[in-house]
Amino acid sequence: MIELQSLTFRYAGSDRDALSDLTLTIPDGAFVGVIGPAGAGKTTFAHCLSGIVPHAVRGDFYGAVRVDGMDTADTRLTDLSRLVGTVFQDVESQIISSVVEDELLYGLENFGVPREEIEERLAFALEEVGIAPLRHRSIASLSGGQRQKVAIASLVALRPRILVLDEPTGELDPSSSRQIFSLLRRLNREYGMTVVVVEQKIMLLCEFAERLLVLSEGRVARDGSVREVLGDIEGLEAIGVNCPRSARFSALLGEKTGREIPVCVNAEEAVEAARRVIG
Amino acid sequence: MTDLFQYVPGNSPLHRMNPVTKIFLTLCICVAAFLTDNLFFLLFLLAFDLLIGVVAGAARKAFTIFRGLVKVSLFLFVLQALFVRRGNRLFWIITDEGLLTAASVVLRLLVVCLPLALVLTVTQVSDIANAMVQVLHVPYAYAFTLTTAIRFIPQFMEEMSGIMEAQTARGVEFDSKNFVKKLGMLLPLCTPLLISSVRRTGATATAAEVRGFDLRTRTSGYKRYGFGLIDLAALIVSAALIAGAVLIS
Amino acid sequence: MIRAEHVSYSYHGAAQTVRDLSFHIEKGEFTAILGENGAGKTTAVKLIDGLLLPTSGRMLVNGLDTPKTRVSERARQVGYLFQNPDRQICKNTVREEIAFGLRAVWGKGEEEKINARTDELLDLFSFRGDEEPFSLSRGQRQQVALASTLAVKPAVLLLDEPTTGLDYRECTRIMEFIRALNEDEGTTVVMVCHDMEIVLDYARRALVMAGGALIGDGPVKEIFRDPALMERASLLPPQIVQIASSLGGEFARADDAETLSSMVARAAERRTV
Repeated sequence: MIELQSLTFRYAGSDRDALSDLTLTIPDGAFVGVIGPAGAGKTTFAHCLSGIVPHAVRGDFYGAVRVDGMDTADTRLTDLSRLVGTVFQDVESQIISSVVEDELLYGLENFGVPREEIEERLAFALEEVGIAPLRHRSIASLSGGQRQKVAIASLVALRPRILVLDEPTGELDPSSSRQIFSLLRRLNREYGMTVVVVEQKIMLLCEFAERLLVLSEGRVARDGSVREVLGDIEGLEAIGVNCPRSARFSALLGEKTGREIPVCVNAEEAVEAARRVIG
Repeated sequence: MTDLFQYVPGNSPLHRMNPVTKIFLTLCICVAAFLTDNLFFLLFLLAFDLLIGVVAGAARKAFTIFRGLVKVSLFLFVLQALFVRRGNRLFWIITDEGLLTAASVVLRLLVVCLPLALVLTVTQVSDIANAMVQVLHVPYAYAFTLTTAIRFIPQFMEEMSGIMEAQTARGVEFDSKNFVKKLGMLLPLCTPLLISSVRRTGATATAAEVRGFDLRTRTSGYKRYGFGLIDLAALIVSAALIAGAVLIS
Repeated sequence: MIRAEHVSYSYHGAAQTVRDLSFHIEKGEFTAILGENGAGKTTAVKLIDGLLLPTSGRMLVNGLDTPKTRVSERARQVGYLFQNPDRQICKNTVREEIAFGLRAVWGKGEEEKINARTDELLDLFSFRGDEEPFSLSRGQRQQVALASTLAVKPAVLLLDEPTTGLDYRECTRIMEFIRALNEDEGTTVVMVCHDMEIVLDYARRALVMAGGALIGDGPVKEIFRDPALMERASLLPPQIVQIASSLGGEFARADDAETLSSMVARAAERRTV
């Protein structure tokens, strides 16, 4: 479980808080999508969960972040990272090795996973992420999507309880983006991994996340189930967050027919709703 | 150019050799090249380098590197031949000693550069680093610096060519033949390159830290680097090369 | 304006390959190139720009064969906005940055003209000239890059995933800019884009690529309604098109939430009457 208590952070040299007074709880096994306009504090938020803020970033840190009861400010970053796996926004800078296998081995070796367990974990992570054929390939020869998967696999191998990802599909095409999210869903459902993912593509979040956290100017602007949050399209747009067209459609349909139309978070639901209206 | 330093997977005897042995062999070739003055022995070393390339299954790459080096060498050769004034004049200002010195400088350059490039073709940098930590007890922080530096080479090149492309697209004439002009155009590009590099190194350090950089010890490495017959053979060859260089010079 | 005649490009060892591309884009068109990563979209755009030269076939832009055109001449005619603005930006102030591209194309003797044009753009984008580009947000840097690309008034504007990494508002701002340019100045726009909603909202024609080949070419609205083609390109049509197509019949042609919801509401009314 992750608990944030009046978390406030200001980067050294900045004249405004990147995050201000965040209080919220993320229970075990949750799948949380984080969205918000540029400068809302999404990356800072992700860094706070993994302890990179305050350990590797200078600034003023107030309040507390507790991961499984451990205060991140008092716990070594190395110890935190056994619990929380982080995928950075810039995958290029996250990858340390030149070959896929080595990239996965890196964390396993460092955290002292017993030798007899390493091969099994390696094979598991490669298999789960679907990159087993790439095991001996050099990273430089991989595409952006493949590199993204390598970065995720290197964390899956460590079996963290919590996975924090910062725009993992930023440079990917629609089908690779969906693959990444399907993978996150499997890790969440089958292995109970808590997933917190910062993402601009609202349609992906609507389809895969259970809870949406909307940040705006360093504060929580909305927090609730995807359906709840999408209930207020104008509000979201004022914050600078787009809505899937299906939700816009259901809102307009409700307005025009005067009926109670539930928020449609994807195309299937919208088709369903339209059919009910037409009869 | 980008793939010059890149590892090419394979299962040749050289791939299986202990990384430390490979480095040692390379160093011995270099030392031998500097110990000897004998042109024929240098030629022999050069042939030996190319043979290594062939055995490693990287013949084509070895010859590509060779060709590239020859171009640089020709330039060096001419310079040397022009500037060395000792010995007997053969024609114009060229002397016999000038030619000999030029030839040996150029041959040395070839002999030394080839195996250095080839080692990276048959060895993963991570293996070199891990083996150095395990076998030679080199502190891990140094090994890490080496691996990340090498890892960043293709990335740096990618970034550089991306930037040059973007600048070409906006009308900067990189296709100019004038070297000074070209250099002048390259300078403004250092800003974006530096900024992206600095951003990256900071993030990479953090990425290593959150995956247990601090916990790593000499024995952390999963792969073990043993010594086999092939390593013994390589050591004998290394010794022979040094001995040969001392005796023949 | 842009004519590709059996253009192929391959580079030994690299993934960049396109095969036998032939298309013709008229002046003033707004075309999107669709396809998954590695389909050859970026290569196609670079071929139009002349950054890559065809290994066979011909690429003509404004009647000029790309290999025979000087870089600066081409830059005057074709503007290229890259996915990553940081590769383009190399000056310490926004003003210098915009002037840099102008100088490269117009030459150093035209200071007065360059200054005037720079002021115009600063004004248009409401930038402060003395701002440091690298202290701006990604979205703002993308706008700086766009401003310096537009400065020379190119007849053709190439956009390679111009909205990557931008939020909804920044994305809309950039795209509205480009739309205005296309509609008011008649600039020919060719855009590579992964966001099908943006393609539907802004582009009128789509070229679909897969495995380096052109597999579809037509009006965006028709392309999105060809399920077999979309499948081959590993793409999903925009949501409203998906909904409209699933409903079928009279609804199938609707392209936006407004129209579709009105149609459904009318149908419901008819039924209750």
